[in-house]
Amino acid sequence: MSTAVLTSPGPDRQSRRQSRRSSDVVPLRLYGARRRTVNIVTLLCGVFAVFTLIPIWWIFVSSTKTVPNLNSTFAFWFARPFVLWDNIKNVFSNQEAGSFLTWMENTAIYAAAGAVGATVLSAMAGYGFARFNFRGRTALFLFVMAALLIPIAAFAVPLYLIYAKFHLDSTAPGIFIPFMISPVSVYLMRVYAGGSVPQEMLDAARIDGAGEAKIFLRVAVPLMVPALVTVFMLNFVAAWNNYFLPFIVNNSARLYTLTQGLAIWMNHTNIAGSSEDYTALTITAGMITITPLILMFLVLQRYWRSGLLLGGMTG
Amino acid sequence: MAQVTVGGVEQQSGVRPARPETSGNTTFRRRRAFQHRRDRRGLWFVLPFIVVFVMFLVIPLVYAVYTSFFTTRLIGGTVFSGFANYTQALTSGAFWTGMGRTILFAAIQVPIMIIIAAFFAAMFDLGVARFGTFFRTVFFLPFAVPAVVATSMWGSMLQTNVGVFPKIFADLGLPNPNFFGPGHLLGVIVLIAIWEWTGFTIIILYTALRSVPRDVVESAVVDGAKLSRIVTRIKLPIIRPAIILVVIINVIGALQLFTEPYLLAPIAPNISSNYTPTLYMYNEAFSAQFYNFAAAIAVVLALVIIIISGAFLLSQRRKGAVV
Repeated sequence: MSTAVLTSPGPDRQSRRQSRRSSDVVPLRLYGARRRTVNIVTLLCGVFAVFTLIPIWWIFVSSTKTVPNLNSTFAFWFARPFVLWDNIKNVFSNQEAGSFLTWMENTAIYAAAGAVGATVLSAMAGYGFARFNFRGRTALFLFVMAALLIPIAAFAVPLYLIYAKFHLDSTAPGIFIPFMISPVSVYLMRVYAGGSVPQEMLDAARIDGAGEAKIFLRVAVPLMVPALVTVFMLNFVAAWNNYFLPFIVNNSARLYTLTQGLAIWMNHTNIAGSSEDYTALTITAGMITITPLILMFLVLQRYWRSGLLLGGMTG
Repeated sequence: MAQVTVGGVEQQSGVRPARPETSGNTTFRRRRAFQHRRDRRGLWFVLPFIVVFVMFLVIPLVYAVYTSFFTTRLIGGTVFSGFANYTQALTSGAFWTGMGRTILFAAIQVPIMIIIAAFFAAMFDLGVARFGTFFRTVFFLPFAVPAVVATSMWGSMLQTNVGVFPKIFADLGLPNPNFFGPGHLLGVIVLIAIWEWTGFTIIILYTALRSVPRDVVESAVVDGAKLSRIVTRIKLPIIRPAIILVVIINVIGALQLFTEPYLLAPIAPNISSNYTPTLYMYNEAFSAQFYNFAAAIAVVLALVIIIISGAFLLSQRRKGAVV
């Protein structure tokens, strides 16, 4: 407590130092925060961390167990036999409602296509809104932002009915194109482009005779990379985790997403008299589903932890 | 301000190209002319988004309103029926019990979550908690977990007789909690939703807090303000727009409650087909094939959400906060 500036160790340290973050923290003792306050707050953090980690720990432990052991052994600790590998094999070999591997490929394709589309569309729109003063700009922007208030539930069923008319129901584009609509991303891109793409640079490029498309790609996009990464990540996760929309517009097992397939397996476990094996399948499949995203978060954490995410909201 | 945080990120990721230092007077004078001449081109950048937006969001919404004025009968086909679907939805108890339940759900879940999130965000921001970086990472992890998996995990852990928590209760000699009985069911869904969304809310509020200029806090410290006062009287009021935004986003999400009760229904017999409006709409559309009636429910739900979030925004604006 003598220095009182808590710079926590870890991968974040270097980037912190670069951005002079640690010097932004006002020394604790100046607040009158006692050691006891620090201890209590840290303890509360610990309690909430336990609450957060309980299900994740549970699913990782459970995915290593046999079906009988799931019920007969303590759920938060490992038990012999350790059958993680068998469980994983069972997940990938089950062919009911399509295969897990297909769901995974489908989900990866939809999430990637949806997130790339959302990033491109919102980067262009955000740049357009931020750096051009065309007629109707404010009205159009408010119109897009008003969509934030519209629940997915309100347009999912009509979307399905329209899809049915144009044979877009149970097709891949029908699932991933709606993921490209992200008003929040447009808002973020507008704020970010407004703050990071200097008008002087655009003007200089215009004096040099560059076209607008080239200026956007060569001048604006490189300056917007951090925002592009964040928006891509947010939309990728949103699409990967989405259940309701694919659930409504797709009922072809060939095109199922992970969440759709998992929900079907889950129902098998819950219906009385159904096969018990689905309990182990659902748990292991859930574990496999969350692992890539958790790894992605840990690898890319400086992006979401840095000040970028919705950073303009206080502005 | 936005610029503060934006600058920080650029430095971290090291992508900031050298800015041209020479922006002389001539450039400045020409700038206006260029800006004016190039104005309309902005529309071309906005257009691709607007096209997808209109085709896949606006048109379905308009179609929902349109189709809600018709009724399909076994004999006679689809006929215009005016407000019949709305009358049926608004006068049936089935819609309002579900609507009332989700409003109650939102009224419990959102405030609890915002208070927890604001507390931790403020503690991380002021560096009061030890191992702040570690805890922020842990708290954010549930954002990587789909609602389907979260519901599956909590459902399994709380399930009567076989779940780990009822077993622990039994081992401690406590009465069977029956988490999915009528008394605790909504509380369980609140718990799952808090687990899913608190970390994300912490990150948003933390980010907003970080962008408050440091001298604001410094001057308060010089004036002798205590920690609790700095948080509740200075920092949180400054980030009020961010708080309003997370409240709105979470209220809208809460009022559309679907995935959790839909997936819990097999182990929780108390979840009826009209437990939430979205569940009711889904069942009317796909189990009963009453698409027109389902569209009317969707429109009413959207209106309720718009009225509630609009009223909240207006009340905040009146208090002087500008979103």
